[in-house]
Amino acid sequence: MNRTPKMLNSKVAGYSSLITFAILLIAWLAGFSSRLFAVIRFESIIHEFDPWFNYRATAYMVQNGWYNFLNWFDERAWYPLGRIVGGTVYPGLMITSGGIHWLLHVLNIPVHIRDICVFLAPIFSGLTSISTYLLTKELWSAGAGLFAASFIAIVPGYISRSVAGSYDNEGIAIFALQFTYFLWVRSVKTGSVFWSAAAALSYFYMVSAWGGYVFIINLIPLHVFVLLIMGRYSPRLLTSYSTFYILGLLFSMQIPFVGFQPIRTSEHMAALGVFVLLMAVATLRHLQSVLSRNEFRKLFIVGGLLVGVGVFVAVVVLTMLGVVAPWSGRFYSLWDTGYAKIHIPIIASVSEHQPTTWFSFFFDLHILVCAFPVGVWYCIKQINDERVFVVLYAISAVYFAGVMVRLMLTLTPVVCMLAGVAFSGLLDVFLQEDSSKRMGTAISTATEVDEAEDSIEKKTLYDKAGKLKHRTKHDAQQDTGVSSNLKSIVILAVLMLLMMFAVHCTWVTSNAYSSPSIVLAFHNSQDGSRNILDDFREAYYWLSQNTADDARVMSWWDYGYQIAGMANRTTLVDNNTWNNSHIALVGKAMSSTEEKSYEIMTSLDVDYVLVIFGGVIGYSGDDINKFLWMVRIAEGEHPKDIKESDYFTDCGEFRRFGELKLDYRGPSGYDRTRNAVIGNKDFDLTYLEEAYTTEHWLVRIYRVKKPHEFNRPSLKTKERTIPPANFISRKVVYSAALNELD
Amino acid sequence: MMWKALLIAVLAIAHCQAVLETDANTLVLLDNLAIRETHSIFFKSLQDRGFKLTYKLADDSSLLLSKYGEYLYKNVIIFAPSVEEFGGDVSVERLAQFVDDGGNVLVAGSEKSGDALREFASECGFELDEENAAVIDHLHYDVSDAGEHTTILTSAKNLIQADTIVGKANRQADAAPLLYRGTGLIADKENPLVLKLLTAESTAYSYNPEASVSDYPHAVGRGTLLIAALQARNNARVVFSGSLLFFSDESFTTAVQYAQSGVFHKLAGNRDVAESISKWVFGETGRLRVASVQHHKEGELLPPDQAYTITDPVVYTIGIEELVQGEWRAFKASDIQLEFVRIDPFVRTYLKQTNTGAYQAKFKIPDVYGVYQFKVDYDRVGYTHLYSTTQVSVRPLEHTQYERFIPSAFPYYTSAFSMMIGVFVFSFVFLHFKDEPVGRAAKEDKKSQ
Repeated sequence: MNRTPKMLNSKVAGYSSLITFAILLIAWLAGFSSRLFAVIRFESIIHEFDPWFNYRATAYMVQNGWYNFLNWFDERAWYPLGRIVGGTVYPGLMITSGGIHWLLHVLNIPVHIRDICVFLAPIFSGLTSISTYLLTKELWSAGAGLFAASFIAIVPGYISRSVAGSYDNEGIAIFALQFTYFLWVRSVKTGSVFWSAAAALSYFYMVSAWGGYVFIINLIPLHVFVLLIMGRYSPRLLTSYSTFYILGLLFSMQIPFVGFQPIRTSEHMAALGVFVLLMAVATLRHLQSVLSRNEFRKLFIVGGLLVGVGVFVAVVVLTMLGVVAPWSGRFYSLWDTGYAKIHIPIIASVSEHQPTTWFSFFFDLHILVCAFPVGVWYCIKQINDERVFVVLYAISAVYFAGVMVRLMLTLTPVVCMLAGVAFSGLLDVFLQEDSSKRMGTAISTATEVDEAEDSIEKKTLYDKAGKLKHRTKHDAQQDTGVSSNLKSIVILAVLMLLMMFAVHCTWVTSNAYSSPSIVLAFHNSQDGSRNILDDFREAYYWLSQNTADDARVMSWWDYGYQIAGMANRTTLVDNNTWNNSHIALVGKAMSSTEEKSYEIMTSLDVDYVLVIFGGVIGYSGDDINKFLWMVRIAEGEHPKDIKESDYFTDCGEFRRFGELKLDYRGPSGYDRTRNAVIGNKDFDLTYLEEAYTTEHWLVRIYRVKKPHEFNRPSLKTKERTIPPANFISRKVVYSAALNELD
Repeated sequence: MMWKALLIAVLAIAHCQAVLETDANTLVLLDNLAIRETHSIFFKSLQDRGFKLTYKLADDSSLLLSKYGEYLYKNVIIFAPSVEEFGGDVSVERLAQFVDDGGNVLVAGSEKSGDALREFASECGFELDEENAAVIDHLHYDVSDAGEHTTILTSAKNLIQADTIVGKANRQADAAPLLYRGTGLIADKENPLVLKLLTAESTAYSYNPEASVSDYPHAVGRGTLLIAALQARNNARVVFSGSLLFFSDESFTTAVQYAQSGVFHKLAGNRDVAESISKWVFGETGRLRVASVQHHKEGELLPPDQAYTITDPVVYTIGIEELVQGEWRAFKASDIQLEFVRIDPFVRTYLKQTNTGAYQAKFKIPDVYGVYQFKVDYDRVGYTHLYSTTQVSVRPLEHTQYERFIPSAFPYYTSAFSMMIGVFVFSFVFLHFKDEPVGRAAKEDKKSQ
C-alpha cells in the first residue's frame, strides 16, 4: 500500500515533465514556424527600417570586432554631423547575433550573419515562451504556465515584432523582460541573494537590448512600493530589492548609451526613491524592535517629516541645477496623449506612437483580451506577493498599450500569462473530478496533471495555510454545482475558442505581419496571381551602382537606414531621430520652394534626392502623405519660413510629379493613392533633374545640379529691356519643311 | 578640310608660345573677309602669341564647332556685327553650349548688330541697345567725329579695376583715352557674374543719333556699358564689345584729340587695352589652379586612415599656381582664406605662404565631431574662381583615449581601495580571531532549542 502511491506519484511526475517538455518544444516549433511566412513567401531578407540599421551594425561588428564597433563613428549617417554608433545604440542585439555567429563558426558551421539576423527573433520567441512558462508557473501553476507559453508562441501582438527578418531590439527584449520578471518573482519568493543577482544580470541583458528596460526599473520599484503600502514588508523583500537595485544600477551604467542616466534622469528616480524608502522602513522595523512604543512614535513622526522634506528639497534642487534631467518628451507623451501632437511632431508622426484603437486590441490578442480580466480577477482574489506584481504589470501595461500602439508589445506577455491563468482556472474547475475527460486533449490533460502536481508542490513548499483553505473550499463549491453534461459543453466551447484563437493567429500573422515592407506584394484582381513590387531595392541598387561612393542622398528620415543598409550611401537623416533640428532642416528643404530648398541642399552638399511616390500603384505610405509631417516638423524649428496653414489652401507644394501619364484611359497625372488629379501637373525643375524612376514609379531619385551647371544666368525673353524682334530662324523653317516632306 | 590646311599653315610659323598648346585653336567669324584686313594688327598680335586662327565667314554653311563630340576650337572670335544667323553647325544655342563646355568667346558688335548677337548677348546676361542706337557723348568726342558725336573718347580710368584683365599700365591717370564708336550694352543687374570692363564718361548716353530723344535712354552716363565680360561658373570667359572699331587697325594707330578740351594724345589707348583684354578672355592671364592639397596631423606626414580625432592639431597645405607666360608658377597673394566647414565654418583663417610657394594653415580641430570640409574659396575679379574642398571626418575620442585617472575622482578611488582593504582586513580578523565565548554561546543556543 505504501509503495503503490509513491510509484504512481513518480510515474505521474515523469509523465508530467515529459508532457511539459513536449508542450514547450511544440510551442517553440509552432512559434518558430508561424514566423516564417515572410521567408517562404518572399525571401530571407531583413524587413522594414530599423532592422536594416541593426543588420548593418551587426555586420560591421562581425567584420571589425567588438572594440571597433564600440568606437564606430559612422560618417555616412546624419551627414554632416555623423553618428557615434557605439555610444548611441543598445548593443545587446548585435552582441547576441554576433555571439551566435561566432559560436557557429567555431563549430565550423559557416552561416552568413544575415541568416542569423533573420532567424534570431523566431528563435528567441521560443525562449520567450519558456520564460513565460517559468514566470506563470511561479505566479500560479504549471498548467497556467503551459497555457501562457502556448499563447505567447503564436499571439499576433508579439509576432508582429518578431517575424523572421524583423531583426529588431524587441525580438530579444521580450525574452529578457519575461526572464527578468521571472527571476525577480523568484527572488521575492525566496529572498535569496542568488536569485536577485540573477535578476540583476538578466536586467543587464535587457538594458543592453532595448530602451524598454525603463519599464522594468519602474515596475519592480512599484511592486515593492505597493507591497510596502499593503504591509507586506518582509526581510526577503529587503534582500531581493536592495541586491537587485544596486547590482542592476551598476550593470545598467555599463552600457555606453545608458551611461549616467540611471542616476540622473527622472525616469529612474522612482527606483532610487523606493530603495531609500525600503531602507527607511527596514530601519524603522529594526528600531521598533529596539525602542519602546512612545519613543518610536516620536522618532517616527519627527524623522519621517524630516526625511520627507529633505528628499523633496533635494529632488527640487537637483532638478533646478540640472543634475537630474527632467522627464523626456517621449515619457510626457505617455501621460498626456495630446502632448506629442502639440509639442513634438516628430514623435507624433510615427504611426506606432498613435493611441491604440479597440480594434487592434482584439486583432492582436483575440480571445485572450477577454480572458485576461478573469485572470486578473483570479489573481486579486488569491493575492500574494508575486500576484501583486502581476496585477501591477497588467494594469500598467494595459494603460501604456492604450496610449501607444507600439506598447501593445509589453501588454502581450502579461495578457498571455493571465489568460493562461484564466483558462487553467476554468479547466481546473471543469476537469477536476471527471476522470473520463482525461483523454480530451494533450493540453487539457497536461494542464490538469500539472495543476494537480503543482498544488502538491505548493502545499509542501511555500503556500500559506490560509490561502490553501480558501482554495479547497472554492473547489468543493464548484464540484457540487456542475453536472457532467455542462462540464463537457463548457470544455468543448473552450476548446472551440482556443482553436479559433489559433486560426485567427495564423491568419493575422500571414496577412498582416508577414510583409517585409521593402518588397510589396499585391494580388492581381484579374487572374488572381501574385505580383511582387521590388521598387525599393531596385532604387537602392541603382544608387549603389550609379552614384559616386561618397554621394549624399537626401530623403525623408524613414528611408535613411535602408539607404545606408542597401545602397551604402551617405544619408542626411535616418530613423534614429536624435537630432530634431537636422530633420527639420530636411523637412524645410522638402517643403520649401525649389530655390529655397536648393540653398539648403547646397549647404548640406546634397547630391541626390530620393522621394517615394505611391500615386501610380496606390501605395499609401508615400512621401506625399507624409508631407504634412514634414511641414509640421519644419514649422517647429523654422516658424518664420514654414507655416502649416500655407499648405492647406493650395496644393502647389508638390513639385515632384507632373509628367506622369498613368494610362490613356484616365486623365494624365491621376493619383491613385489619393484618388485625385494632382494640382500641379506640368512644371519644370530648374535645380533638380530626374535621375532615376523605378518600374512602378514608387521611388524617384532626383539629382541636385551643382552650381557650375547654372553656368551663366541668361536673361529670359520677358526680362529684357529691349524686346526681341520676331525673328524666325531659316534653319528651323527649313527643317520643319523637311519634316513635312517626310 | 580648309581649316586643317590653315592649321598646318599656322603651325608652320613658329612663334614664341605665350599660350598653352591646348588653348591655341581659335575660330574667327567675320562679316566679310575685309575685316581680316582692317583688324590685322589685332589678329597679328594673337598669332604672335601662338594662337592658331581659322578665319570663316559667319554665315558659312560649312562651319563646324565640334567633331565626334570634341571641340575643334577652344576660343571663338565673332567680329561679325551684322550677322542675322550663323551658318553651318554654329548657332546661338551651340555657342551657349560651347561656353558651358568651357570655351571662350570674344564678340564685337556695332550700332547695327544682328539678331544672332543679340540672342547670344542675352544668353550671357547682357543686352545690346536697340538697333541704330549708338553711344553719344556731346562733351567727349574725338575730333574725327562726323558730327553725330558718336566717335567718343572715354578715359582710361573708366576701365575696370582689375590688372589681370585690362593691364596695370593702361589704367594709369596719364594713359591715353580709348576710342569707341558703337552701341551701348545693358547689363543684367541680377547677374553677379557680369564684369563691366569699360564704361563711358558720365556725359554719355545711348540713343539713336538720328532721332530726337523722346523716351528715356536705356543707358545713361557711367551706366553706359561699352565692353562687358562674363566669367561663367566654369571659368569660361565671354567678352562683349559694342564696338568693332575698338579692335580695328584704325583705332590702334590713330592719334586722338578731345574736340571740346583739345587734349591731344599721339596714340589712342585701344591697342594695349585690346591686347590685354584678349589675353584675359583667351585665358593667358588671370588663370589660377590648385596644384596640390595636403592635410595631416601636425608632426605626421600622411592624413589619418579613417578620421581625425577632435582637438587634433592639423596642418593644411594647398599649392596654388598661376599661368604666367604659358607657364604655371606659384601664385602670390596674402588674402587667401581657409574655412573648416560643417554646414557653418568652425574655423576661418588666412593661409600663409611658405618657402616652397605653397600656402599653409595650422589650427586645432574644434571639439565637435562630424564630417568637415577644408574649403578654399578664392574669388577675385580678373582671376578664375578657385574652389577646393576636401572632405574629412572628425571622430570623437575612442574608449581608450579618455583620461585614466581624473584628479577630481581621487576621493572615490580612495574610498574604493580603502573599502577593499577594509573588507580584506575584516575578513582576516573574522576568520582567524575566533572568540571562545562565542562558541559557548552558540552551544547554549542549540541546547535551548
